[in-house]
Amino acid sequence: MFKKALLALPVAMAVGAAAQAGEWQDPNDVLQNLLQNNPDSKYLHQSEMNIMMMPDNPALWLVEEGEELFYAQRGPNNVSLEGCDFGKGPGELEGAYVELPRYFDDVGKVMDFEMRLVHCMKELQGFTSDDSAVGQRHGSGSDIMKLTTYIAHQSSGMAWNPPLDHPEEQAMRDAGEVLFFRRGGAMDFNCASCHGDAGKQIRASVLPQMRDSQEWTKAVSWPAHRAGQDNVRSQNHRIRGCVWQMRHAGILPDTPVNTALISFWNDAARGEPAILPDLKR
Amino acid sequence: MFKKNAVAAGMAAFASVALAAGCAVADGSKGSDVDITAMSAEELAEYFIFETGSFRDQEMQEGGTWRDRMTQDDIQKACSMEGNPDGETAGRVVAMARASYEAPESIELGDWRKGAELADSGFGYRMGHNNDNHGQREPGGNCYNCHVFDPRVSVQGTIGPSLVNYGANRGTSEAVLRYVHEVISNPHQYFPCTEMPRFNTVDRQLLTDEQISHIMAYLLDPESPVNNQ
Ligand code: HEC
Ligand code: HEC
Repeated sequence: MFKKALLALPVAMAVGAAAQAGEWQDPNDVLQNLLQNNPDSKYLHQSEMNIMMMPDNPALWLVEEGEELFYAQRGPNNVSLEGCDFGKGPGELEGAYVELPRYFDDVGKVMDFEMRLVHCMKELQGFTSDDSAVGQRHGSGSDIMKLTTYIAHQSSGMAWNPPLDHPEEQAMRDAGEVLFFRRGGAMDFNCASCHGDAGKQIRASVLPQMRDSQEWTKAVSWPAHRAGQDNVRSQNHRIRGCVWQMRHAGILPDTPVNTALISFWNDAARGEPAILPDLKR
Repeated sequence: MFKKNAVAAGMAAFASVALAAGCAVADGSKGSDVDITAMSAEELAEYFIFETGSFRDQEMQEGGTWRDRMTQDDIQKACSMEGNPDGETAGRVVAMARASYEAPESIELGDWRKGAELADSGFGYRMGHNNDNHGQREPGGNCYNCHVFDPRVSVQGTIGPSLVNYGANRGTSEAVLRYVHEVISNPHQYFPCTEMPRFNTVDRQLLTDEQISHIMAYLLDPESPVNNQ
């Protein structure tokens, strides 16, 4: 089913020269390399079953569906998303996902991937927040997750490389670092309470260590099919889940706190190849 | 690290900027008129949390708003760094922790079965897309997320040390009872800036003294499965 997307890529790669972030690689190859390079990482090796399932990752089905949605003429304005600029120019998707969040001149601020996608669906296609196309953010059946998985897949194997040239990009990343270590909420947690040491477990889950970039690249490689939830999930969904467990207040998407956290966590995986889409517990 | 005064000054500064700009803060699609590069990273983090609508406007289980939940107290502020606190910070945190601890007149062990249930429960205080309703179920202690109590149960956490045979190794002297009560109530008295939450201080009661007595029984009672490994 997803062969079409895979075949289209080499052509796209040849056209979109200067992929300094590295070559596109199949997500399973990226994972296998990480596993080989890190034989002692409990986090990376925690689920033999998921490693075995990776070539048949159910998230790959969403790549196909997302591709159709991306090129379809949709919304009140009946246009495709080919006019959407994710930072590499309108419709240029290779390498775009691993170079976000970034500052966009047209809005005068830093946007993370999902914010940008929603922005384009509203501005170009004319959807409003009331339309389920943009209102429904989670679940494999949602347009947002299909589009996210297709677009992210175009950066598989490329290194995380969120730009920091613009002062607002740097400010976002630095605020994200403060937020990562900011203790608060009903149980005094910060992100490092659970992601500060290697090989620690919360119940049956082995947790990734943020300062180990080879663990962290897998940690932030969303979209990923979550076997336990039988759904493809996003970076936003993961942040919402962790903030909820932290007993902070309920975090909202398309907001600066969310974007700052993503700016920092993608930066913490800088230089390491992304697994897009991944498969997680 | 975290300079309270600098933050207060920064907050005042952007408050006036926001006022001047007609409060045009982030609305999700347009850039804001606040210059985010003019603030320190600490100021910007506070600004993002409190002034940009990043959190749901909800009432918390303990009463109060999302804003109260997100406002740091002194120990949270002092411990918001990467890695371990330096000596000065550690001393300050221990002193603050001692000041906010109230020793009960007497400490007795409760019912270890109830304690096991509380230690095993991760319910409580979660807010957002899904809210824990404390009217339906009492909040637990989350202990199993971080500690192994019984090695026969495979799904327990390792963020904290294993507590297997905790009582068998220590006994139930008055000194042990006092220590364990102090650690559960406010662990920063012994482990400044520990990852372990404070469960009972003068400002906060995640667990009542009675609930703590049950959990202590789970840890210390010779009959408890914790002590029969
Ligand atoms: C109370 C512990 C806890 C805290 C605090 C916490 N997390 Fe997590 N986090 C988890 C757990 C548990 C998982 C794995 C979920 C699973 O396997 O079911 C996880 C998963 C993740 C992952 C994906 C890794 C994976 O394999 O699923 C990322 C990235 C992450 N957390 C980031 C954060 C950030 C950023 C924060 C702070 C906003 C944070 N976490 C705070 C417990 C925590
Ligand atoms: C977020 C993780 C976390 C949670 C939740 C947690 N603890 Fe801890 N606990 C720790 C850590 C970490 C330590 C070790 C202290 C340190 O070095 O920071 C600790 C230490 C302890 C100790 C002292 C061990 C000793 O050396 O004497 C006891 C007793 C204890 N915890 C009991 C509990 C109980 C009971 C609960 C639930 C009410 C609980 N903990 C919840 C992380 C946690």
